[in-house]
Parts: sequence; C-alpha cells; structure tokens
Amino acid sequence: MNPLLGYIAIAAVTIATALIGFFGLRISRTTQDFYVASRTVRPWWNASAIGGEYLSAASVLGIAGLILLQGSGGLWFPIGYTAGYLMLLLFVAAPLRRSGAYTIPDFTGARLESLAVRRITTLLVMLIGWFYIVPQLQGAALTIRITTGLPSWTGAVAVAVIVGLIVAAGGMRSITFVQAFQFWLKLTAIAVPVVFLLITVGGGGGPAVDPAVAFPAELGPASLDAYSTVSLVVALLLGTMGLPHVLVRFYTNPDGPAARRTTLIVLGLLSVFYVFPTIVGLLGRALAPELASAGEADALVLLLPGMVIGGPLGDVLTALVIAGAFGAFLSTSSGLVISLAGVISQEVAGGSVRGFRIAAIASSIVPLAVALVLEPGGLAGSVGLVFAFTASTLCPVLVLGIWWRGLTARGAIAGMLGGGLFCGTAILLGPTLAGAGGSPEWLLAALRQPAAWTVPLAFALTIVVSHLDRRRTPRGADRFIARLHVPEGTR
Amino acid sequence: MSAGPAEPAPPPGPAGPADPAPPSGPRERVRVTAPKPGEPLATAAGHPGLERSDTATVYAASLIRSQLRLAIVCAAGFVVSLGMLWLVLALAPGLDGVVVAGAPVSWLLLAFGAYPAILAFAVIFIVASTRNEAGYRSLMNAGPSA
Repeated sequence: MNPLLGYIAIAAVTIATALIGFFGLRISRTTQDFYVASRTVRPWWNASAIGGEYLSAASVLGIAGLILLQGSGGLWFPIGYTAGYLMLLLFVAAPLRRSGAYTIPDFTGARLESLAVRRITTLLVMLIGWFYIVPQLQGAALTIRITTGLPSWTGAVAVAVIVGLIVAAGGMRSITFVQAFQFWLKLTAIAVPVVFLLITVGGGGGPAVDPAVAFPAELGPASLDAYSTVSLVVALLLGTMGLPHVLVRFYTNPDGPAARRTTLIVLGLLSVFYVFPTIVGLLGRALAPELASAGEADALVLLLPGMVIGGPLGDVLTALVIAGAFGAFLSTSSGLVISLAGVISQEVAGGSVRGFRIAAIASSIVPLAVALVLEPGGLAGSVGLVFAFTASTLCPVLVLGIWWRGLTARGAIAGMLGGGLFCGTAILLGPTLAGAGGSPEWLLAALRQPAAWTVPLAFALTIVVSHLDRRRTPRGADRFIARLHVPEGTR
Repeated sequence: MSAGPAEPAPPPGPAGPADPAPPSGPRERVRVTAPKPGEPLATAAGHPGLERSDTATVYAASLIRSQLRLAIVCAAGFVVSLGMLWLVLALAPGLDGVVVAGAPVSWLLLAFGAYPAILAFAVIFIVASTRNEAGYRSLMNAGPSA
C-alpha cells in the first residue's frame, strides 16, 4: 500500500475535525448560551452525533475482522451493539433525561442520596472509560502500521496526543457538529467502498468462490455455541446503557419524548451503518481468506478495496476508509476523554478549568500506557468485554434506580462491587487459565464470556442487599422516581 | 457540551439549566455545568413541581407500573423474536445450502434479519409509552375530583 495515501487521509481527517471543532466552538461561544442552543439541535443532528461518538474502532474495523476470523459468530456483534440502544430506549432514555443528571455518578449519587455511591460509580466510570479507549488506540496502531508502515506504537501515541491536546485546549468539547460530522464521514467511508466492491464483484470482476468453502457450515449460525452467544448478547444488550459518553449526549435533548425520538433515529442510523461492515466481512471470507489471522483480520476493511479494485479508484477508496477509521478512533476517544475529564475534575478538582485540563491529559495517558503494554486482542472482542463489565456493574444500579423504589445505597454498592469483582476477575483470569491449560472447557467458556452469570449475579446482589437494608431506603425515593416518569408539562 | 464541566458551576436555581425561557432580549451567556457532588439535580424543561397531591401520587404510581410493563413486554418480545430467528437457523440446517448472491441464506438471515425487529419494537414502545403519558396527562387535567 502506498504510505502517502495513509498520511493524506489521516492528516485530512484530523484537520477537518480540528477545524469544525474550532468553528463550532466559536459559534457556540459568541451566539446563544449552550442550553438554548442545544434545544435548537434537532433530534436528527443529535442522533447523528450519538452515532458518531458510538461507532468506534470495534464497529468500523472490528466487526468485519471478526466475521472473517470466526464466521457467523461475528454477526452477533452488530446486532448486539444496535439492540443495546433498544434496551436503552426501553429502560433508561426518557427517565434518565428527566433526572437532570449530567453524568452517571450524578444520577446514582442523587438517587441514593449517598456520597459513597457517587464515588464508587465515579471509579467504575473511569475504569470503563479507560478500557474502552484502549481498543481505540490499538485500532489506531494497527491502521498506522498497515497503511504507513510506521511502527505500531506511533499510531496509539498519535491518537492519544491529538485527542488529549484537542480536549484539553477546549477545541472539541463534544460539540454536536463534530460528532455528527464524524458519523456521516464513517458511513460514507465504508458505504462508498462497499458499493464499488459489490459492483466489481457482481460484474464478474472477482474470482469464482465456492460458497461452501467461504461460508462453511461448521462456522454457520446453526453451529454456534449456545452459552457463548447468549452471554455475548446479554453483555451487548445491557452494556450500552452504562457507557460514560452515552448519557451526556441525552442531556442535550430538551425533554423525555425528545430523548425517545432521538434514540429511535439512532437505531435507524446504526441499522443502516452496520449493513456495510457486515458486507465487508462476508466479502472478506470469499475474497481475502488469507487475511484471517488474529493480527491481520481487523485490517480487512482497510485492505479489501485495494485488493479487489486496485488502480487509482482503489487508492481513493482506500484513502476514504483510512479517513473513516481514523475518524472513529478520534471521535470515540475524544467523547470518552471529555466525559471522563468532566467526571474526574468534578470529583477531585471542584470542576475548575485547570482540573479539567489535567484530567483530560490523564484520561488520554493512562489508556495509552495500557495500550502500549497490553498485547492487542481482537478489537470487537476487547470492546465486548468492556460491555460485559459495564453490564455487570452500572446496568443494575441504573435500571433498578429508575424503576425500583426499594434500592438502597448499600444494595447499589454491593451490586457494583460484586459484579465488578466477578466480571473483572473472569476477564483477567480467563486468558491466564486458558494459557496454562488443563482447565475444563465449560470453565474457560464461562470466563471468556462472563456476562451471562455476572449480570444476574450483580442484579441479585443489589436486590438482596437492598432488601436486607430496607430500613435505609432513601427518603426522597418515591418523589425522585415519580419525577423520572411523569411527563413534562403536568402538575 | 460546549460549556462543558470545566466551567465553575452556577448556583442552582431558576437561572440554571432547567430554565425554559426562550432566547429573548440581550443574548447573555449562561453556563451549563454539572451539579457539584451533593447539589440537587436540575430538572428537564417544564417539569412539574414536587408538591403533589395524594391522587397525583396514585396516578403517577400507576403510570410507572404501566411504563415498566410496556418496557418489559417490548424487551421480552424482542428477545423472543431473536431467539426464534436463531431457532429457525438451528432447526433448518438446509438453509446453509441455499445460496443467494454468493452467500448461504442462513448467514444472510442472521446478518440482516434482526434489524427490522429492533426498529419495530422501538416504534411500538415509543407509540405506546407516549400514549401512556397522554393518558396520565388527561387524568391530571380532569382534576383530582375523585
């Protein structure tokens, strides 16, 4: 691959992001105040921005790579990523908007009237955010290595430095326009090459492929392991609602019904988007089986246009996908760094500008260190584990906090710590045991995909401890919950 | 989030983020920040006050119950339809042999079949939950005469 393509694409998307951020910031500084401006943001813009922030390296690169590597098992990932927003719509979207909470610690702390709950939620949010940034940086490392030939670490360092600087300088404070732009960039960057790929392959330009070889029945939907699939789906369905950068976006909806409408549009946008990485994955099985190795599979989206189409058109399409992928690393990482810096600075620095800046730098450096030390796993798989952890820690306290008046501070803490402990142990212990050998297969499967048992366990812990502690139900619980569900404009 | 959490928090109150006033008069910059730990949360626009009559409390409790029932029914419906899709694929291995556009039908069904169900349940939920809220609103407007 021509390294110049990579440099041009990456420079272009970085400059475009910085420019839109800069001008967006100027507009929002000199015209109306933020809140009124945010009311004029139509649900379409807001939904695009949510999509822009949500579609990470795992979505743009990871899904196609996983379909290439594992067959139909990878098809469950985009379904889960999308359906996670359905669960968010059903159980938390409108009530969470009405709560007036800006971050998850705001919500849990106010709902349970407990500083300890607030602190623990903050710690979990930091942990989740950092481990969600790591795969983004690993995706950047892979992209840089494949497209420019530079060593991997330069990609991770570049994204961490760019995001840390932009966020600390205040040039890209989650501005709706930047993230909305990123969504349409990502959609274009993958949809256009896919259309050209389909035209080329459909017109007989591709090699003849035997479907039984490219799509073997033993990797087909009928042969998937039931436990692993169910566990993965549980993690993805319930993990989305606890992601730190998701809640902040719902705050820009004027009211509960608008939060619901926005979520519906997000579902539509995600459903359209995921068609394309899925097609790339399926095409990759037919046309590029030689890429199906653990280190290379995630690069399928970047390499396939050049391999199949070639020539100047292939170069342009390759540059486009590189730009889209790099946009994904930048937008998701900066969304996460912003929400993390907000949470951290508010908790330890009293919300000062200086504190925010330091927290922003720290929030980019910590995951960078982890990304450089850790052996990169598959992108979609790493993000899947973060979803499992979120579903085992923050999902129970959010859902029960919104719907069950009996939740107490101790119940919430027991559920968060218990769920986090079991899920975290499983994630850390799994690879070690698998490497040592001699462990029964059921145990390895349970550790590899822990959500199916850690999520019910976290819910059970929360409910049982709350029940034992029922004399300490927060006094304002009834009123608080009523406020979450009663429609605006009634008295 | 242009005025992110980096700004010092304003005192909570009517000038806070809950203020639904339209942009009129001199454009003055209002900072929106997250509440400090322990501060009360701002509510959404036009939100009801907290003093509520007993009747209102009963109505609200019934609204919450029907919204929860609706959410659970929609979630269960979606999970069941996803399970059905999987069951069909598992029970009809012959689908692996039927090739459309170069790929087995079983793979294509799993790849693209779930999204219509996701969108359908989302629409059902939004329509029904809005109706629940409208019902609550008309009960409240009729007045707590009962």
